[in-house]
Amino acid sequence: MGEFKVHRVRFFNYVPSGIRCVAYNNQSNRLAVSRTDGTVEIYNLSANYFQEKFFPGHESRATEALCWAEGQRLFSAGLNGEIMEYDLQALNIKYAMDAFGGPIWSMAASPSGSQLLVGCEDGSVKLFQITPDKIQFERNFDRQKSRILSLSWHPSGTHIAAGSIDYISVFDVKSGSAVHKMIVDRQYMGVSKRKCIVWGVAFLSDGTIISVDSAGKVQFWDSATGTLVKSHLIANADVQSIAVADRCLISCSKKRQLLLFQFAHHLELWRLGSTVATGKNGDTLPLSKNADHLLHLKTKGPENIICSCISPCGSWIAYSTVSRFFLYRLNYEHDNISLKRVSKMPAFLRSALQILFSEDSTKLFVASNQGALHIVQLSGGSFKHLHAFQPQSGTVEAMCLLAVSPDGNWLAASGTSAGVHVYNVKQLKLHCTVPAYNFPVTAMAIAPNTNNLVIAHSDQQVFEYSIPDKQYTDWSRTVQKQGFHHLWLQRDTPITHISFHPKRPMHILLHDAYMFCIIDKSLPLPNDKTLLYNPFPPTNESDVIRRRTAHAFKISKIYKPLLFMDLLDERTLVAVERPLDDIIAQLPPPIKKKKFGT
Amino acid sequence: MAALEEEFTLSSVVLSAGPEGLLGVEQSDKTDQFLVTDSGRTVILYKVSDQKPLGSWSVKQGQIITCPAVCNFQTGEYVVVHDNKVLRIWNNEDVNLDKVFKATLSAEVYRILSVQGTEPLVLFKEGAVRGLEALLADPQQKIETVISDEEVIKWTKFFVVFRHPVLIFITEKHGNYFAYVQMFNSRILTKYTLLLGQDENSVIKSFTASVDRKFISLMSLSSDGCIYETLIPIRPADPEKNQSLVKSLLLKAVVSGNARNGVALTALDQDHVAVLGSPLAASKECLSVWNIKFQTLQTSKELPQGTSGQLWYYGEHLFMLHGKSLTVIPYKCEVSSLAGALGKLKHSQDPGTHVVSHFVNWETPQGCGLGFQNSEQSRRILRRRKIEVSLQPEVPPSKQLLSTIMKDSEKHIEVEVRKFLALKQTPDFHTVIGDTVTGLLESLCPDLMEIALKKKDVQLLQLCLQQFPDIPESVTCACLKIFLSIGDDSLQETDVNMESVFDYSINSVHDEKMEEQTEILQNGFNPEEDKCNNCDQELNKKPQDETKESTSCPVVQKRAALLNAILHSAYSETFLLPHLKDIPAQHITLFLKYLYFLYLKCSENATMTLPGIHPPTLNQIMDWICLLLDANFTVVVMMPEAKRLLINLYKLVKSQISVYSELNKIEVSFRELQKLNQEKNNRGLYSIEVLELF
Repeated sequence: MGEFKVHRVRFFNYVPSGIRCVAYNNQSNRLAVSRTDGTVEIYNLSANYFQEKFFPGHESRATEALCWAEGQRLFSAGLNGEIMEYDLQALNIKYAMDAFGGPIWSMAASPSGSQLLVGCEDGSVKLFQITPDKIQFERNFDRQKSRILSLSWHPSGTHIAAGSIDYISVFDVKSGSAVHKMIVDRQYMGVSKRKCIVWGVAFLSDGTIISVDSAGKVQFWDSATGTLVKSHLIANADVQSIAVADRCLISCSKKRQLLLFQFAHHLELWRLGSTVATGKNGDTLPLSKNADHLLHLKTKGPENIICSCISPCGSWIAYSTVSRFFLYRLNYEHDNISLKRVSKMPAFLRSALQILFSEDSTKLFVASNQGALHIVQLSGGSFKHLHAFQPQSGTVEAMCLLAVSPDGNWLAASGTSAGVHVYNVKQLKLHCTVPAYNFPVTAMAIAPNTNNLVIAHSDQQVFEYSIPDKQYTDWSRTVQKQGFHHLWLQRDTPITHISFHPKRPMHILLHDAYMFCIIDKSLPLPNDKTLLYNPFPPTNESDVIRRRTAHAFKISKIYKPLLFMDLLDERTLVAVERPLDDIIAQLPPPIKKKKFGT
Repeated sequence: MAALEEEFTLSSVVLSAGPEGLLGVEQSDKTDQFLVTDSGRTVILYKVSDQKPLGSWSVKQGQIITCPAVCNFQTGEYVVVHDNKVLRIWNNEDVNLDKVFKATLSAEVYRILSVQGTEPLVLFKEGAVRGLEALLADPQQKIETVISDEEVIKWTKFFVVFRHPVLIFITEKHGNYFAYVQMFNSRILTKYTLLLGQDENSVIKSFTASVDRKFISLMSLSSDGCIYETLIPIRPADPEKNQSLVKSLLLKAVVSGNARNGVALTALDQDHVAVLGSPLAASKECLSVWNIKFQTLQTSKELPQGTSGQLWYYGEHLFMLHGKSLTVIPYKCEVSSLAGALGKLKHSQDPGTHVVSHFVNWETPQGCGLGFQNSEQSRRILRRRKIEVSLQPEVPPSKQLLSTIMKDSEKHIEVEVRKFLALKQTPDFHTVIGDTVTGLLESLCPDLMEIALKKKDVQLLQLCLQQFPDIPESVTCACLKIFLSIGDDSLQETDVNMESVFDYSINSVHDEKMEEQTEILQNGFNPEEDKCNNCDQELNKKPQDETKESTSCPVVQKRAALLNAILHSAYSETFLLPHLKDIPAQHITLFLKYLYFLYLKCSENATMTLPGIHPPTLNQIMDWICLLLDANFTVVVMMPEAKRLLINLYKLVKSQISVYSELNKIEVSFRELQKLNQEKNNRGLYSIEVLELF
């Protein structure tokens, strides 16, 4: 079926930053997550928890609070004292507004979703009115003596509870005055903590306030009388969760066997090693040359890198932050590499959501956050802007996935919700649009020769669309008719990369975080009764049985968690793994807890 | 078990400790705060939990503190003496010691002593003692001389015994030691000569004392490295007479006598002392905790940076100067128990007992019967009985009761249940009760078991034990008493549920073979290798039939079924233990024998389970053995007929410990293997491998 040499790479030393706060939107079933590096991500819980959108982080922005308001508007506030609203269509920050209360620790939208409340360092609670395109300061509540760390509205919207250091206040929203002040006991079981920080409050409709604090207590209060009803001690454990980002952080140069790793503030370029040995399945081959760390490229400024790419020929590296686009030319002389920045980038190439080089490395495709797609011609050490595909009138949706055909004629671009647009690069016009599907696209690629566009969605469906014919291929229709194997649909991580074998047109190579799969379109599809994944190689079964049980999906689960896998040449694969143990080893001690044994 | 916890340093501030170390560490009126007086000019108040100083006060340049600062617990003020005669009193708000209250005394102060609950005492170098208040009333009052010339106070301690302050101080003159005990209220001063025994050359290096009702137990660490104890009566027989006291050896050679560094001794509690010093002349200094009752070393901690040979102990903290910084080592002594030693001390409910929903579904009592009990047999029996019941033409009282329970008020139900229980036992009585109690909680009908206990209705009790998840431990224990004491003949008449009992007599032939096997290999361990050779010999001398006894069930089957119900019931150790103490010793022995028998049966197969449908688990058996022994050890150990059993249990425990220690050893090898395995899987950061997809 297929034998490959696999470059198994584990030196991508990526650690996702910690999650600071989450906000769930009930209506759209989406979860907004902010990380310690200021990144805000939006996960679509209906679409297999797929990370739909992300807003790159910034060093000076420490997001402390996130909340959704009416009309699925997302706000965040942080220690820089600003309230920000995110544009979920254009994927940028709509505006940032200083609340003038020092660092903001907490934020809550009113039950109606029309008002926003922030709790500040200086002890003030500020009420903002949410207007259709902005927010407007309305008034201050009675100033408290220390920072407001948590806020909660009464479901009726008439009162709020504010957790501070050592006490909880209840405010009347109409008058803005504090109705009650409930002192939280610093001690528990005789152990005196220095300060009791009320990290969270919840206001129930019957007037009960529930607080959680740094002494590890969960307490129930009666907001009408301001008295403590019940107190429970729970564990004083921190909870954090980790998730590896779905978005692509790795790109590879097939020709020079290079890997480019993207971190928040730098890029790393590695050259893969080589071997002359051969072996049988499962063997580890002796290396004749080890992998080299060629380059460490640091960004300037506080902004995180949004995306990066290395050209297939290995002589260009492009990356982008929120405000700047960088293009570098690499020169190889034996073992030395020289790096030259291409200066004078045009103004429209400011912030890219996705960068892609054509197969022959002569063209650069950039998806900007205004929804435009730029095509840049690269030749020698210079570049020329060829064309910009403007977004369809009326839409501002940003494109975040790009795919180009190996012959360089077709460019496919996908946003977060609408369908995939296919552009004709030669004629510089929109060729067709693949019909929109309910679930976001997680990966796509265009096959050589046939120019079939293979699209994977977050609900684990895979489609094959013929670009020249502007219709789904027969194989794709057959698959849809028969349906995927139930175990295939039950996988919980999205397909993040699709590639093709240059010599085997019937093969589609794709992978998610836990498996690598070759779909052989010439073989029958598995039905729910067949074994989808068989970890054991066939032994001495007769050819007949083997042929009868063989099906289109050839799966390998050896490499996990798999961040990236691509075909370098006909017989060589590169797999980038990020072992969870390595990430766990870098987490602060309370997160990993040994449960049994001593 | 006494244990030293992880040490911590109080602050990075280097204390100006002289060659003799610090002047002292004293308690303040707040539990967590301590006054540290260095050997120079400074007093620092530390908060131990925060590991940082709260305040610091110094006397002027040129002055020197001569007596460690103490806290006056009655006023919350601090008292210190500098330049031998100048007394200063201040509190937390004061900044400068130069500006605080000052009193110049007429004699030199040895130490100010302060304990909770009484005013501080001032001990002068000449041996006179004054209360602080009385002294402050007239600071220049004349201070008499108590001790003779060239006699020097070496050590002192202040106790409150039954609200009477008692002061003891030790003096030395030309190598002779004297103890003075001053009853402060009665102003009686008694002088004792401490006899050093044969070794006249030994010098006492450190003292500590603890006190009980009648005696002050003075412990001294001598230069020969041994700890001696001297008992000093608090109320002397004849205070006028000079009396001699003999010391007795308590612990031998705990530290090296001729070590260069200082040694120190502190009593931690009744049974434990902490010793600071080098165990061998050349080795590094150690803090060790000794159990003086068993004369064993409990724990020890190396202090590589050296100490000043001083040790203070307050509350749960040991203070010492380690290197240049003041170090605190928390000391904990937890009560140990056999269950704890076996690692079976329980904190949560036995997972073996099933938790029943607190909701009673009255709609389906007939259909479900004992439905949630996961055995087919009981269901079958009940169903059969129910058929019999329904065959009866008229509505039996039990049916009426059931219908009453299903629809009536709580009050009425109670009345009806009482009425029903008062009735003569009907054949379907227990079936009805079974139906009724299914899904009920004991707390919902507290009288039911009470009545059953009174009537000694073991069948009902068994049913209740099986069904109620919330029986109070006292009731469980009362059931146990009845189950153990009820006569075999009266048991014959009852119809107890036998599903938890397996007929052990069936495979008696097989048994014998097994028995031999258990003798040789108890759970993989060979008791022959046991160090307890003498008890083995004793055991071997016993006639064969007694060995036989341990492998045949010591109780009749019905009683076994009842006892199994007890084993299955839920309990909390703390509440059960006191009740277990009330059970007569013969019954305890019988139960232990039965449990031991079950254990032997368990260890016969690899899965360590008993045959049968719902047998007691090994954990339940072991827990109950531990419980019974913990509750009644002193009683059982005195009984001659329990001796053999105890030896067997002792061997059992020992074999278990050996097995576990062997397992621990194996674990190390396994870990290495696992590491190798991981290395194989984890081929470093980069590799090229061959993958073939089929």
